[in-house]
Amino acid sequence: MEQLFNIDFKRFNSLNDKEAADRKKNFELFLKEGLPNKKNENWKFSDLNYIITKNFKNITNNDDYKFQEKIDSIHDFDHNKVILVNGSLKSSDFHFEEKGKVKIETLKSLEGFHHRSKNNLDYLNKALSIGGFNLEVQQNYKCKKPIVIYNYFTANLNNKIINNSNMIKVGQNSELILIEYNISKKSKFIKNTFEKINIDKGAVLKNVILQKTKCNGYFYKNISGTQDFNSSYQNFILSSGLKFNKIEIDMNLEKEKSSCHILSGLNLSREEHQEIKTQINHLAPNCKSYQKIKNVLDSDSKGVYQGKIFVKDIAQKTDAYQLSKAIILNDQAEFDAKPELEIYADDVKCSHGSSSGSIDEEAIHYLMTRGIELKEAKKLLIKGFLSEIFENIPEDKIKPFLEKSIAVQIDEIR
Amino acid sequence: MKSEELKNQEYKYGFTTQIENFKAPKGLSEQTIKFISKIKKEPKWMLDWRLKAFNRLKVLKEPNWQKPKFPKIDYQNLYYYSAPKSMKEKPKSLDEVDPKLIETYNKLGIPLNEQKRLSGVAVDAVFDSVSVATTFKGELDKKGIIFCPISEAIQKHPNLVKKYLGSVIPISDHYFATLNSAVFTDGSFVYIPPNTRCPMELSTYFRINASETGQFERTLIIADRGSYVSYLEGCTAPMRDENQLHAANVELVALDDAEIKYSTVQNWYPGDKDGVGGIYNFVTKRGACRGRNSKISWTQVETGSAITWKYPSCILQGDNSVGEFYSIAITNNHQKADTGTKMIHLGKNTKSKIISKGISAGQADNTYRGLVDIGAKAKNSRNYTQCDSLLMGNKCGAHTVPYIRNKNSSSTIEHEATTSKINEDQLFYCNQRGLNQEEAVSLIVNGFCKEVLQQLPMEFAVEAQKLVSISLEGSVG
Repeated sequence: MEQLFNIDFKRFNSLNDKEAADRKKNFELFLKEGLPNKKNENWKFSDLNYIITKNFKNITNNDDYKFQEKIDSIHDFDHNKVILVNGSLKSSDFHFEEKGKVKIETLKSLEGFHHRSKNNLDYLNKALSIGGFNLEVQQNYKCKKPIVIYNYFTANLNNKIINNSNMIKVGQNSELILIEYNISKKSKFIKNTFEKINIDKGAVLKNVILQKTKCNGYFYKNISGTQDFNSSYQNFILSSGLKFNKIEIDMNLEKEKSSCHILSGLNLSREEHQEIKTQINHLAPNCKSYQKIKNVLDSDSKGVYQGKIFVKDIAQKTDAYQLSKAIILNDQAEFDAKPELEIYADDVKCSHGSSSGSIDEEAIHYLMTRGIELKEAKKLLIKGFLSEIFENIPEDKIKPFLEKSIAVQIDEIR
Repeated sequence: MKSEELKNQEYKYGFTTQIENFKAPKGLSEQTIKFISKIKKEPKWMLDWRLKAFNRLKVLKEPNWQKPKFPKIDYQNLYYYSAPKSMKEKPKSLDEVDPKLIETYNKLGIPLNEQKRLSGVAVDAVFDSVSVATTFKGELDKKGIIFCPISEAIQKHPNLVKKYLGSVIPISDHYFATLNSAVFTDGSFVYIPPNTRCPMELSTYFRINASETGQFERTLIIADRGSYVSYLEGCTAPMRDENQLHAANVELVALDDAEIKYSTVQNWYPGDKDGVGGIYNFVTKRGACRGRNSKISWTQVETGSAITWKYPSCILQGDNSVGEFYSIAITNNHQKADTGTKMIHLGKNTKSKIISKGISAGQADNTYRGLVDIGAKAKNSRNYTQCDSLLMGNKCGAHTVPYIRNKNSSSTIEHEATTSKINEDQLFYCNQRGLNQEEAVSLIVNGFCKEVLQQLPMEFAVEAQKLVSISLEGSVG
């Protein structure tokens, strides 16, 4: 592990003594156990150590944030813009919103980034974090337009690792649609992100994670959050196109009537490996959680879903649902699932379902009898299968945009 | 009574027990294994096999990933062999047996003679020799079916034992399986010759000298080409045992077109209401569908033991082979169960089905943990899994941990699981029809378990239904 990581701590600017010592300490803690491997239950289906050591020989940290490109913005709908370059906040533009209601700044301290479960990538992040953003929506303010985070990765990131941390806070009775839009060049790099989300009473956060182009990135993202009374969190994961991607979501429904939706539609092709791992903790009565994970697996891709619903003894009247479905198009592809329930309250409605298999031959047959070619019929079915995920997005202009980006991916299926 | 006399009496009692007992030296060592092997008059290859397992054991660690945690077991403080109790030690009549046990026997409707046998009352030798068991034995011999204690098979049928023992559960498997391989004392051996249908349900009950097989039981069942056998293990009656740790190994081998049906009713002592005492039941059960079109079906009703930890599995090697798993696990008071199955699909067109029903009451914890793995070469395979959990009260827990892996494009896996409590409407309806709360719950729970109970052999099923009700007594209202 020490040979693999060639870290230059001098690259962090304005390093005071305490911070430098903390970083070194965290880095040593990380080196002790190294990258997680399949012996770790959380990484059972995605052996990160194997994947990284196979693809990287020498990893360094990045300190280059130069950015001269023209921003190729989305024209399908009006939106506020945040530009991140290599994980670091570059600029923002909230001109659709009232002044002072939405704030963003570079994250200054990692306070509040405590994790319940031990995670070695957390040590790595704390050791090498370059910050990130701190986004806050004031209370009683419903954002007029969505915020799109243009997450740019430059061309000179080969063999580099980016560690960043973000904080998102949505105040009481506020609403925000946040779209993370990843755009990258050809370079092969690692990204390790920790994100903290805080949704206050009656607030709503809709979060879309989208990948614009195919990318040689190896991404890990850890989202952990808390939800207050009557709050709502909805996450739509459409991040196909990465070499490796693991998104871990740890959401705590702390007060009554809060709800959490996680929906994912992934279309994976050659040498792509994606994992979605969720843990929804129902800690108060009358909360709702809903997860729907859909994967289409082509070539030698691998899709993994590990989902856990935890219901505390006081969390009566919980309504929790988990569904994972996969279509496997090729014998080299693999789908692994571990949908887990841990329940300590009796008056609950908890269920999960998981299915994986080939594309429905009868449906293909039906379409072909109607004069549609095999290739087209397949695409049509896959499109129908995946687009169910964002049916719940009410904003009529965002939906066609997402449909369009999915269609581009599906076109690549042969 | 004078204090002086009292002292004398204690002394006298202590002295007698020492003479009566016949045990292997305490602790786990090469010496203990040699002792067991010698007493069983085993050939050298068997001893070598045990020692190999023992050497492997030295480097293994106890597994700790399962949900129920147990206090550390001091393996050096256990006896690994003790001779069956002599007539003198056994209770003389049912009056000497714990009245609570007798009460349960009566509820289950177990006949008096059987009650005596179960509670270890010394049974009249005359009764035993004319028993059904002897008659059955003759019939099995006629068909060429071998059904005997495994220690007898090691001596009489060494080739069969050598070929199949450890072929499904290798000696280098996990800790408890390896421990069993090193120190197993006895168990059943069954061989069904080709194209033979075993005419009756085989059960340990009919095996003469079957009682007191001890804590490390080893069972090996081989169904040769085109044969069929149904095997019953355990019984509905509550079983008491002084050994806390039970680590049995069961291996099944089904060759071409053969079918094995293995049913278990486990009702070991679960400990008292506060969770003190009770058996740790750490069992390894595995079946290999080696031949084409072979089938292995596991059915289990688990109501006893303080901690149950077992995963009867099927390795579907042969093309078109079928694996089935039907399970009811009931936990009450402080019981903990972590049970499920593994279905490993290797051959083409293999099918598996898992139906698991978990019921949790009191402060118990009930976990379903299972694996369905369809390999890249297992084309056109199919799995269906259903796990339902029922919770009674908010102090107990029900958990589902399925692992699902699909590695080819022509196979289908379906999994569903639900967790709920007893429906108020159903209860209300039953109450309205004049059933009291307890009867109503028992009726609903039996309905909940029906799919599994149906799989049991008929006479077993009736008793199992009663057992389901009894296990939940006192958990409602």
